[in-house]
Amino acid sequence: MRIDGSCHCGYITFEGEADPEKAGICHCTDCQTSTGSAFRTNVPVPGNAFRMLSGEPAIYVKTTAESGNPRAQAFCPKCGTPIYSTTPGDGPKPSYMVRVGTLRQREQFVPKKQNWFRSAQPWLAALADIPKNAKQG
Amino acid sequence: MRIDGGCHCGFIAYEGEADPETAAICHCTDCQKLSGSAFRTVVPVQDSDFRMTGGKPTIYVKTGDSGNKRQQAFCPQCGSPIFSAAPGDGPKVYMIRVGTIRQRDQFAPKVQVWARSKQHWTNDLAAMRSVEKQP
Ligand SMILES: [Zn+2]
Ligand SMILES: [Zn+2]
Ligand SMILES: [Zn+2]
Ligand SMILES: [Zn+2]
Repeated sequence: MRIDGSCHCGYITFEGEADPEKAGICHCTDCQTSTGSAFRTNVPVPGNAFRMLSGEPAIYVKTTAESGNPRAQAFCPKCGTPIYSTTPGDGPKPSYMVRVGTLRQREQFVPKKQNWFRSAQPWLAALADIPKNAKQG
Repeated sequence: MRIDGGCHCGFIAYEGEADPETAAICHCTDCQKLSGSAFRTVVPVQDSDFRMTGGKPTIYVKTGDSGNKRQQAFCPQCGSPIFSAAPGDGPKVYMIRVGTIRQRDQFAPKVQVWARSKQHWTNDLAAMRSVEKQP
């Protein structure tokens, strides 16, 4: 389906094509630190279907993957919103792992799979039982 | 308890004192966007207990629905979100992003705020297919 998204401040905007069946969670410790949250949510967008509409993301090349593969992490230089990861360097990319929280259509991207589950935060399994406030408590 | 943490690239480092009983999830749409994920996890640290021990974060000031302004601090080199705080000078409470804390395993959230914009599938993680690493 068609997607479009942006960072929080609006400097970065993009559009593309993504399959909701491919949405996933990543529980790896790199994603915990880089989101500041418990996990990351991603969906792949084929390189030829992804288009930046505005702004130029800052790129951080992380080299801590267990595989040793470097990975470019794109974020907004003005507001810090994580946008995607991809293979480093110039030239066409096979795909972009877009951060689902930045998508306008994010409600439609229910993750289907949890990767790196061995480092998942254990409390996530019982999230439904944590007391809730509709707004701020 | 004592905490210490930092961004992914190591440029930003901090230490402080935080109470695991005050850890929380925020499901607001700002947090969904700014984390790029489904929600954010936070814990407050008092000004007097908080010390930055590394580089200087970039500050983005967001204006909430309420009109309240809020500083969002992130690493300029790797983008990791670090904390939010009230703008301006004077003593603050820093809402630290739990994912950046080395002791994060000990900060299980005790409350979910802004549940009205919650991504509902987050209730069903125990039933979702999982793999130990990456396939
Ligand atoms: Zn931005
Ligand atoms: Zn990951
Ligand atoms: Zn950093
Ligand atoms: Zn929030």
